[in-house]
Amino acid sequence: MPKVNNWHLGREIEYPYDDHRPAKQWAIVFDLNKCIACQTCTLACKTTWTSGKGQEYMFWNNVETKPWGGYPLAWDLRILEKLGRQEWGAKGEYLGKTLIEAAPANERVLHFAPTDEDWMYPNIGEDDCGGGNVDGGGHMAELPHDKWFFYLPRTCAHCTYPACLAACPRKAIYKREEDGIVLIDQSRCKGYGECVRACPYKKSMYNPYTRVSEKCIGCYPAVEQGLQPQCVVNCIGKIRVMGFISPPGKSRRDNPIDYLVHEKGLALPYYPQLGLEPNIYYIPPIHADRDYLLQMFGPKVDDAIAAYQALPDDPRANGLLCLIGSTERIIHRFDVKGGVAVGFDDKGAELVRVPVTEKVIERAAFDARLGAIRNNTP
Amino acid sequence: MTRTPACQFLITLLLATAFCGGGCKGKKASPTGEPPPEPPAAPISALEVKAVTADLSVPDPAAPYWKDVARGQVALLAQPMVTPRPEATTTEQLIVAAVHNTTHIAFRLSWADTEASEAGRLGEFSDAAAIQFPVGDMNKTPPMMGGPELPVHIFHWRAQYQRDAEQGKPEMTALYPNMSVDMYPMEFKEAPGGSPQEREGFSPGVAEGNPQSYQKAGVDEIIAEGFSTSAVQAGHSSAAKAVWHGGRWTLVITRPLTIEGGSTLAVGQETGVAFAVWQGGKAEVGSRKSVLMSWLPTRVL
Repeated sequence: MPKVNNWHLGREIEYPYDDHRPAKQWAIVFDLNKCIACQTCTLACKTTWTSGKGQEYMFWNNVETKPWGGYPLAWDLRILEKLGRQEWGAKGEYLGKTLIEAAPANERVLHFAPTDEDWMYPNIGEDDCGGGNVDGGGHMAELPHDKWFFYLPRTCAHCTYPACLAACPRKAIYKREEDGIVLIDQSRCKGYGECVRACPYKKSMYNPYTRVSEKCIGCYPAVEQGLQPQCVVNCIGKIRVMGFISPPGKSRRDNPIDYLVHEKGLALPYYPQLGLEPNIYYIPPIHADRDYLLQMFGPKVDDAIAAYQALPDDPRANGLLCLIGSTERIIHRFDVKGGVAVGFDDKGAELVRVPVTEKVIERAAFDARLGAIRNNTP
Repeated sequence: MTRTPACQFLITLLLATAFCGGGCKGKKASPTGEPPPEPPAAPISALEVKAVTADLSVPDPAAPYWKDVARGQVALLAQPMVTPRPEATTTEQLIVAAVHNTTHIAFRLSWADTEASEAGRLGEFSDAAAIQFPVGDMNKTPPMMGGPELPVHIFHWRAQYQRDAEQGKPEMTALYPNMSVDMYPMEFKEAPGGSPQEREGFSPGVAEGNPQSYQKAGVDEIIAEGFSTSAVQAGHSSAAKAVWHGGRWTLVITRPLTIEGGSTLAVGQETGVAFAVWQGGKAEVGSRKSVLMSWLPTRVL
């Protein structure tokens, strides 16, 4: 089997196809410290793409509460349990096996097959806390409490080495050269469900009406026009940004995604140990259980949280975070100067300009000109 | 009590069971017609196809002419060439017979399957079987799905496709009788001025013309030139009918001897056939199947 370079793991891994990175790689960065699980992203996606027959319970974008939530049910626990305990090395290199390396001889990918019922509770576990000992009745009985949870918004990760693509015996799944978006060919898929089994993130879904599998398409029609996906531009918390990520050696300091992932080490891939080089990146939630985060984001999580906590002293990073959510267009390059952050498109044209610190204007409680009392309620 | 993942999982499963009621049970293909008897048959290394005087354009597993036809048994193995493949062989024996009437040839296949399975919902897979012919020279064409410029012609029956042919393609309400749906926005395209294309525009498989997303006629005709290349052909010259009874499928696939652009059989000549069987109840689909490992020489008498 060919060897390919997986920089998330700091080593070569086995993959059924030769190493080939697309010209550009679609990526989203999410700040999990800001997500409030309003599900606006979920509904933006749902109303755009999956309102048809056979898509009733299909959420290409979902937001689940960790540690208890999961769509489909316990997707992460079940694949981690199957893979078994694996180790990271002292230098952050992965010593364990990936899902493809751990596959039985008769399979392409170590997997589990979710059942129909597993998809029926997209919001299960919402706001359920984890950690500590919660015996003695309702776990919300004692407030304030030291338990933790966080929200995890998820789309397809358009992996560099997708398990769905590796598993498809019909070669009906392909990765686009121009943006790295992974698509299921809707004219060629025969609904075997191999991708549904193989994707550990469970982002390939079966449509029983069309009898073929479907998945997040990265809003490629928007991306082709220089626009970010629906789930990103509709995020009211402005917690996510879509752009293009470079491999580490080609990282650009003025590329928003490169800056957050490579330059600052703020955002990490989730479950990198599965070996697919997923291209959605998370700024870890600083308050959640550190062991849990270590399992989910790998050994760089401590550094990422430290970097996040140091952000108030970093005007450039502050500027970039202000740009997130300020334009629906894809920011290819950004600059922060004189307290102003500016985003540019792929041709260098200015897309948006925002102040890093908004002016505070204090107004008197009484408006003498109108003879009215000012208040904050509309 | 500390809630463990396993505990939460169990609770959800119980909820799922409660909500689904009886509607969540897998759809089973129901037997139609009288089951043909199937005594054991001796192993064969070649198949002779005798002529009968009968209309073979309509497949009939219980037709009287099958009583007078020699039957033979071939051994199948779990598909060994490509992953994913079955861990073990699920269909070890296939009983085969064939007749022709100078225009059509009919193959009768019989195999043991403890449960009749039909695809529909996620994770449900259909019982299925396929007959494969070389388009060109049997001796040059690989019996496993053919090869580049060495195409094979496949007739693929599924219980699911037979249900389509008999009852139409199932609607979501048939697959999930207890599911609650507010509305399908595109259904409003039924209003004057709307078209079926508009209604199906957000059903990607249908909109893309994927044969899988349309009502099937019982059997698919497929051309392949190696693994991962199979493509369903437009038009149907073949037909299939299967009956499941008492732990056994009996299937007849009938086709014209000559199919333009596909495989051709001729009286007095020898070609090869190969077979594959899928047990849907054991999650067999695609490359997870039992197959005949070589061409079975077949002479049309």
